[in-house]
Amino acid sequence: MSPRVAVVGAGMSRFVRRAQETGKELSWIAAREALASCELKLEDVDAVCLTSAPDAFDGVHRKGDYLADGAGAWAKPYMRTYVGGGSGVFTAIQGWYTVASGLADVVVCVAEEKMSSCQPHPQGAFLTIFDNILERPLGPNLLWIFALEMQRYMQAYGLDKRDIAQVAVKNKRNAADHPAALLGQTDITVEDVLASETLAWPVQRLDVSPISDGAVAIVMASEDAAKRLTDRPVWVQGVGWNLDTTYWTNRDLAYPEYVENAARMAYGMAGVNEPRKEIHVAEPYDPFDYKELHHLEGLLLFDRGKAPEAAAAGVTARDGDLPCCPSGGLLGVGNPIAAAGLMKIAELFWQLRREAGARQVPGTPERGVAQAWGDLMQVGTVVVMGNDGGPLTTATQSPPPQSPPPSPRATPLSDQEFRSATGAVEQRLDTLYDWDAGEAIGAFLDGLRAQRILATICISCGRTLVPPRKFCERCFRPTDSWTEVPQTGNVETFSICHVTWDMQPLEVPQIPAVIRLDGTSEGGFLHLLGEVAPDDVRAGMEVEAVWKPAGERSGSILDIAYFRPLDQEVRRELVATATVEKTLESTV
Amino acid sequence: MGVVGVGWSGFSPTTAGISYKELMFEAARQAYADAGLDPRSEIDSFVCCSEDLEEGTSIFDEYVPDQLGAVQRPVQTVASDGLFGVATAMMLIRSGVASTVAVESHSKASDIVSTGRVDRFAMDPVLNRPLGVSATVLAGLEMRRWLHVSGRSEDECAEVAARNRDHARNNPRASYADTHDPTPLFDPLTHEQAAEPADGCVVLVLAAEEKTPEGAVFIDGIGWSQDAPSVESREWDRAAAAERAARAAYERAGIDASDVEFAEVDDTYAYKQLQHLDALGLDELDPDRVNVSGGALGEGHLREANGLARALACIERLRAGDAHVGLAQSWRGVPSTSAAVAVMRR
Repeated sequence: MSPRVAVVGAGMSRFVRRAQETGKELSWIAAREALASCELKLEDVDAVCLTSAPDAFDGVHRKGDYLADGAGAWAKPYMRTYVGGGSGVFTAIQGWYTVASGLADVVVCVAEEKMSSCQPHPQGAFLTIFDNILERPLGPNLLWIFALEMQRYMQAYGLDKRDIAQVAVKNKRNAADHPAALLGQTDITVEDVLASETLAWPVQRLDVSPISDGAVAIVMASEDAAKRLTDRPVWVQGVGWNLDTTYWTNRDLAYPEYVENAARMAYGMAGVNEPRKEIHVAEPYDPFDYKELHHLEGLLLFDRGKAPEAAAAGVTARDGDLPCCPSGGLLGVGNPIAAAGLMKIAELFWQLRREAGARQVPGTPERGVAQAWGDLMQVGTVVVMGNDGGPLTTATQSPPPQSPPPSPRATPLSDQEFRSATGAVEQRLDTLYDWDAGEAIGAFLDGLRAQRILATICISCGRTLVPPRKFCERCFRPTDSWTEVPQTGNVETFSICHVTWDMQPLEVPQIPAVIRLDGTSEGGFLHLLGEVAPDDVRAGMEVEAVWKPAGERSGSILDIAYFRPLDQEVRRELVATATVEKTLESTV
Repeated sequence: MGVVGVGWSGFSPTTAGISYKELMFEAARQAYADAGLDPRSEIDSFVCCSEDLEEGTSIFDEYVPDQLGAVQRPVQTVASDGLFGVATAMMLIRSGVASTVAVESHSKASDIVSTGRVDRFAMDPVLNRPLGVSATVLAGLEMRRWLHVSGRSEDECAEVAARNRDHARNNPRASYADTHDPTPLFDPLTHEQAAEPADGCVVLVLAAEEKTPEGAVFIDGIGWSQDAPSVESREWDRAAAAERAARAAYERAGIDASDVEFAEVDDTYAYKQLQHLDALGLDELDPDRVNVSGGALGEGHLREANGLARALACIERLRAGDAHVGLAQSWRGVPSTSAAVAVMRR
């Protein structure tokens, strides 16, 4: 059994759209508040754990090193861990193992994000998260993949947008009670969400959490130190993390298996056998409203496809049977990515100490779960925390403090102030790469040039794989042979995109889709649909590849110009040309 | 914590036609075969050490699981040098959450067309970058200050470069044994005193003591630290972070510097080898017991995999029975001050 580790303090900056403070200063605000909350000084800290999402936000390479002094790590053992959007919850796991290993007694965990530095839009940092050879040439953006996943989730369980929009309403209303929140709103309705601008169907503006700057910190301590520091430690009872395959188009996006794997790891460590009875408050990751529902199912708190029903019945409301995101979540408090994940750990700390003020869930919650998610819809990070039914005498005898304090710092700037700020420095992240496609993808691209779609076969698991790989990621052995697959397939999921990555309106919508090719075992790959009106696209629709002329093919994923409906009745010649040309223009 | 498997691939100036994934797959397969473990069921946790801008991919963590046999397993990225990944493995194992951990780091330096621009983005955006100087100028600045304070000479640094490249002649992983170019780079730093880039991947499989066979190499102590990130407030005349890391590693291993029989230390620049030996308390160590592999000057610089390359050389020498106690040390290179030290025994 692992040694016991507790959270003993927490602090955070206000989450704002554009902070005047630098990333270092935001880190300092959070770390200082966390230390002050448990009356510690920096010299009492043995090690510092840090996380922050892509370096491309800040335009700073090795951002961990850059933020070290802000996080209080000067001359201390210090490390930055990083699992994309899952990082914020993961840094608490990092803090846990740093202490549980016996190498430190007291650690500070800091999660920082300053997205506003990335111009013209922070989405720019996500343009380079896609596969360098097979996906980036198609010009995908983050909204595409969320829209594809949301569509698949809705389709798999027959859900309506209304079922999903209620999550945005609940969380933005909850956030109105959070002193650090960016988007708290008491009077928002489902109709407001449904009437908001469509970005990439089914994703509308109010389904999405806001881009934000901010930082959060917690203090973690060994059992001895924790008991010395506080009479109300909140124990880390279980931790879990799990990363799925890079080939996101090869999995069923309706259910996050990797979240379930992470949850089972954490529940197992915590001795939680019946999470629906033993978890009293949950902070699932909610960058989009459907994600809260998706994750609640992955956390085994509801049956697959049943979280929306429970939410509609009020089960997940702050005063419901299983309060979910009482903080207001990312949808309400804000989404400075890594910081937002650690905010969930801080919220459980405050809830389980009964210090959450107006946000406090009723009753005497003894155990909570926080979860984050990230990478290419691929990673789950889970922490189970509890007060062991421990003494809450301080809180019950005197009115609980409001945590975080009502005026946590971070100075919001208007757009004009932001652009005219003294010392504003503009630099283009102009790094250049020339990637080796490798043996397997190199051969695949040669095939495309010859108007053939090639796959590899793994005889161990019997799968025929597109994109082909040199090795099977499941069996972890070299693949056995090559084969050519048909140029027809089905639309697994799709989105209708009305905006570009930097939120500029598109005259002609783009239609990205995951295509499952005939003759392959599962999944497929990302491409675009053409010769079809947006209203006519259906999941499961049969499609075929449309190739560029031989002289224009160069050994690229763009050698397939697009996929079009096999059914000639559905084709729309004009839409095709305009859509695809527009897409390729924006790619160039 | 024991070392139960090692694997490597590449270690050459370019690896044309091979993707980073294929490079990682090869090293991982060797390491698992060496360990006799199936990664799909017998490795509890996976740690990759990488940085987004080195790869040209945001959230590079996305692209690591498949080629490591780590799909739907606990995987994390440590945004640092590979020895920090070894430190992480030690924490995972000691905490009880894992008993076997794979640690990976690689360099696909040949994919980076604008290396200088990548390094420049590690400098402070407001105060340093607008000056338009290369990040490597920090090595020239530090070398001059250190020579001035320590009383060491440029000739001594040149001797280090010559000796490491000479050592490299016996190392099949070394590509730069014959490099000789005394022209100035960032004076007093010369071309031949700066390690050239190389591609390569190293995977180590580490295990709890009870899962490590008798006679294996053990990592008894590890330490890591850093100095001020800003160039305006760091120490310019000593490797303070390496000193602190060494102190922690020696203490955890229960030894002192005089017990170390040989060392593989960071020699990204020749003067750093001498400075690091001072920091490690190994300035008296026989020069023929330092970087016998040829170091980064001989093998080439593997970016974030540099620390694992030093660890690999250290493990191989202990496995060969040439010594009982060895040390591996890393530094992340300019403009970083982060350093780590691992003490090993067989």
